[in-house]
Amino acid sequence: MNRNGFPFLLPMLALSLAGFVLPLALLGVFSFVDTSGSLTLANYQRLFADPFVLSVLVDTIALGFKVVLLTTVIALPITLLYWHVSPGLRRVIVFLTLLPMLTSNVVRTFAWIVILGRQGPISQALVELGLAPAPRSLLFNETALVVVLAQIELPLLVLPVMAVVARSDGALSAAAQTLGAGPWRILVTVLLPMMAPGFLAGWVLVFAGATTSYVTQSVIGGARLIYLPQFVYREVGVLFQWPSAAAVAFVLLAATSLIMLAMTAAARHPRLAGHA
Amino acid sequence: MTSVLSRRQFAAGLASLTALGMFSSGHAHAAGSVVAAAFPNAWEDAYRKIVAPLVAAQGTQLVVSPALAQDQLAKLLASPGKPSFDAVLMSPGQTAEAVSRGLIEKIDPSKLKNWDKLEASARTEYGPNVTVEINGIAYNPTMVPRPSGYKDLFENKAYDGKVAWIGFGSNTAAMAWVEIAKLYGGGEDNMEPVFKLLASHLPKVGAIANNGSQQMTMFQQGEIGVFMASTGNVARLKSLGVPCEFVHPVSGSPSVPVTIHLAKGAANPEGVYQYMDAAISAEAQSKLALPPTEMIPTNSEVPLTPGIKTFVSEDDLKKLVYPDWAKINAKRAAWTAEFDRLVRR
Repeated sequence: MNRNGFPFLLPMLALSLAGFVLPLALLGVFSFVDTSGSLTLANYQRLFADPFVLSVLVDTIALGFKVVLLTTVIALPITLLYWHVSPGLRRVIVFLTLLPMLTSNVVRTFAWIVILGRQGPISQALVELGLAPAPRSLLFNETALVVVLAQIELPLLVLPVMAVVARSDGALSAAAQTLGAGPWRILVTVLLPMMAPGFLAGWVLVFAGATTSYVTQSVIGGARLIYLPQFVYREVGVLFQWPSAAAVAFVLLAATSLIMLAMTAAARHPRLAGHA
Repeated sequence: MTSVLSRRQFAAGLASLTALGMFSSGHAHAAGSVVAAAFPNAWEDAYRKIVAPLVAAQGTQLVVSPALAQDQLAKLLASPGKPSFDAVLMSPGQTAEAVSRGLIEKIDPSKLKNWDKLEASARTEYGPNVTVEINGIAYNPTMVPRPSGYKDLFENKAYDGKVAWIGFGSNTAAMAWVEIAKLYGGGEDNMEPVFKLLASHLPKVGAIANNGSQQMTMFQQGEIGVFMASTGNVARLKSLGVPCEFVHPVSGSPSVPVTIHLAKGAANPEGVYQYMDAAISAEAQSKLALPPTEMIPTNSEVPLTPGIKTFVSEDDLKKLVYPDWAKINAKRAAWTAEFDRLVRR
């Protein structure tokens, strides 16, 4: 009897083929034709010749890295706490990490409008403390966007690291301590290398989420911060430049894929993967 | 290991593909239903509550699908001849594009019982106008003084950091920019004065939004105190208890009719006629003229409500400005690109 389970994969494969691979291929074809339907490289040439588009691409990738950096700074103490506490408290940390994911991305984004707004608690607190002369909006700048995206994407980094930590031997740090290692040395030589595969997997997810998050980018960033997803929307929805939008979408796909491939390759490196 | 499929496995795979086919049939219309695009939020809600039951009474289910006019146009362009909507709701800016690209059809007025009750100006060969949107300036009286017109917003310090603007993708914004261009020596075919003005005024701008809905959210949250709006936007905010008033700019109020069109290749054209007839009926329009929508009726049997009269007097109606959309559309893409480059941080 054949037990390879292939038939069970068929629905998923068919769905991927019909819902992802074929439309993507179609998009690829669109990006290489002009409005009359003949083959051309002009859509890509125009993009790479336009400093505005290039700067939007650079900003989008930079946004991804900034969000990855901030989520890492926030995630590290959470995961170290997870490493140290009892199984009962670990479940509480997992629950608290998952809690924001139970509400939609749109709701979380709109909640941030209230928090960072002119009438929001942060602005009011700054005025009450005498740190600001009048209430001011903290929205529509890149710092706000990075903070919001970091909060939204945080579970995507914390969860893989927790998964790695949960599988590792709790006696490792005790062993290092017995051998004379101080807290910082344990962190650098034992805990961080152990968590590295989890961080690398999480970084891939956070980077992909942050660079493609159209709703959060447009609502928190406003129209003065332009990233590639908004640029694609504008090309299609306002300018009706389908071939050009397809080319931009492919450039974004290629850029993020390359960076994610690099991260994935790093995660598979024997020295990093060996600690998992 | 063998990868040869058994007959049972093949049948299982085939069944799964058939199941998949259920989700990817040519179009998603149920028999006797019409998919009609309506502007998100206020329009969408009102059409679902008021117009859909009237269409249902004729045996057709009205499925209201929210989409901005420009998005409707983009979706029709994406699949010409196989539209994702049977009926679309557009203003002349999009209508002109849809006609030139062959995306909508001329209608047969004899199929509409209420056609003769429409104001003469509301009868167009591509469909009935269901209302006229009058645009002007919305302001929060608890935040800023009453503006007299567009110039005030750029020249009076009281508005620094309080005004939101949008690019040329929005009809309301495009009309406001045209009016502002005229005030500063430009016009429908010359937007240079606006770009010059905007470049020097950018540090004092409250926010640049991506679309009208986003502006209304900002206004509700007290982020901004002024935005370019239609009377309908103001009626909606007022109904939510937000302090909001409407001002007709001294230079005149740019106005646009809103029209229901029959999409070319619509799956259920007869249903679209039922929907058009319901939307222009006195029964629907008298309800749509009430809060929270307060749409100006085009059915001559429906009187202006006292609520609408607070927005538009007979005198205001004489000062309505109808922009030249052919001229605007010709430059819209270039202006949008220039606006993006200018406002980007």
